Amino acid sequence: MIEFQRLSKRYSDVKALDDVSFTVPAGSVTGFLGPNGAGKSTAMRILAGLSRPTSGSATVLGRPYAGLERPGYEVGTLLDASAQHPGRSGREVLTLGAMMLGLPRSRVDDVLELVGLTGKEGRRAVGGYSLGMRQRLGIGHALLGRPRALVLDEPANGLDPQGIHWMRGLLRDLADSGCAVLLSSHLLHEVEQVADRIVMIGRGRLLAQGTPAELGQGRGLEQTFLELTAAADRSLA
Amino acid sequence: MNTRRIPFPTLLRVETRKLFDTRGSKIISGVLVALAVGAVVGRGVVSGPELHTVAGTAGIVFGILLPVLAILTVTGEWSHRTALTTFTLEPRRGRVMAAKCLPPLVASVAACAFAMLVAVPVTAAVAAAQGVPADWRVAPLSLAGWTATTVLLTAQGLALGTVLMNAPAAIVICLSSTVIWSVVGRLGSAGETAMEWLDLNTATIPLVNGDMTGGDAARLAVSALAWIVLPMAAGMVRTMRREVG
Ligand SMILES: Nc1ncnc2c1ncn2[C@@H]1O[C@H](COP(=O)(O)OP(=O)(O)O)[C@@H](O)[C@H]1O
Ligand SMILES: [Mg+2]
Repeated sequence: MIEFQRLSKRYSDVKALDDVSFTVPAGSVTGFLGPNGAGKSTAMRILAGLSRPTSGSATVLGRPYAGLERPGYEVGTLLDASAQHPGRSGREVLTLGAMMLGLPRSRVDDVLELVGLTGKEGRRAVGGYSLGMRQRLGIGHALLGRPRALVLDEPANGLDPQGIHWMRGLLRDLADSGCAVLLSSHLLHEVEQVADRIVMIGRGRLLAQGTPAELGQGRGLEQTFLELTAAADRSLA
Repeated sequence: MNTRRIPFPTLLRVETRKLFDTRGSKIISGVLVALAVGAVVGRGVVSGPELHTVAGTAGIVFGILLPVLAILTVTGEWSHRTALTTFTLEPRRGRVMAAKCLPPLVASVAACAFAMLVAVPVTAAVAAAQGVPADWRVAPLSLAGWTATTVLLTAQGLALGTVLMNAPAAIVICLSSTVIWSVVGRLGSAGETAMEWLDLNTATIPLVNGDMTGGDAARLAVSALAWIVLPMAAGMVRTMRREVG
């Protein structure tokens, strides 16, 4: 389970997050939906202990990230698929991760296969990967330690339609086996088909949360999203 | 499943591996070895079979390339934004940094031993080829001082890289410091005093010569404080506090 409690983050001139609270229950996929600049990445970086909140807190399995002894076993993270050394091979990226987690090298082969990277692709330098391949590699890296929580920031960016279909199936299976999955996107259609719950944010504020059916009641999910984000923009304009 | 924190030797193995796992890092390590061997052989041929001189020539290569390697090691996570994954797997950033600093320091000692090892057959070969007797004299104190100097210059690279978090800036400062100090040293007696107390390169000369006095030791301590201890301390604070994004 992942929990954000009254999380706020202020950069010098923007409130990137303003009193945001929500929970990602075990056994579910929660879609974290918001336009560009809404604060999704900020929230996820705070959760992973990479950025300090101005106030509030975020916990994984009831503990702050910094309190996890070996976080790779508890929570898998993909925060930016492009943040890789261009000269390192995909397989090497996974090997370094497996070493840090004390996993056998066979886990690297398993993960490469799981995310659909061939042996040849795995041996190539990441600098030559397409964004979609980097996303697959990043998802694989997050899954190395078979974590019980998964945090993916815009993993569908750059994935082709087959890739998105594959990812949906993967996340569904993981959630069904008890994993708490948090999946961010700025595009509704990338999350609506797989998410059990959707959390909408805009301009750092929580706009709405609930099941797709609840949020779409009456006017449809897309219309809800557009109206709420437009209202958030207006209130800060 | 092992949920205790990552053992330090594992972090050490991971960070050592990163010195050799990209094309760029392989090239630097390869160039380091090739230049060291080249310097030893070249000096042997030109200056004759004197073990001390022949081995010592490699020190010029080490004094430049090991600090560069050190800087690239400690700045790499920032330049390539891999801090995002590294510090997510080990949130105790100080442990990661410690694991990054050790390999270049150990490599510095190993490099000096390696230079000695290469210099022995080169000295013997040059003596045989030129038909002159080889000079095998090496003062142990001077050898130790030379190794310590190499380690200190590498540590300076680590410290500057850690505090600046930017490889080009740290490399420029490291490499241009010799030039800057030789200018400062010519700016009257105040400049000379500043150089004696604050230039690590000048302060390590007695170490290499193996004739340290108490005053030399004080000057070395002060310059090491200024270029290694303080920047490293500031760099660790910066590393702990920096927001990774
Ligand atoms: N390091 C930073 N410094 C200053 N402002 C930032 C920084 N990171 C994010 N922001 C700002 O915070 C807001 C939220 O950004 P972000 O979390 O990246 O949004 P999202 O991921 O939803 O697109 C934006 O206005 C962005 O410009
Ligand atoms: Mg983002």
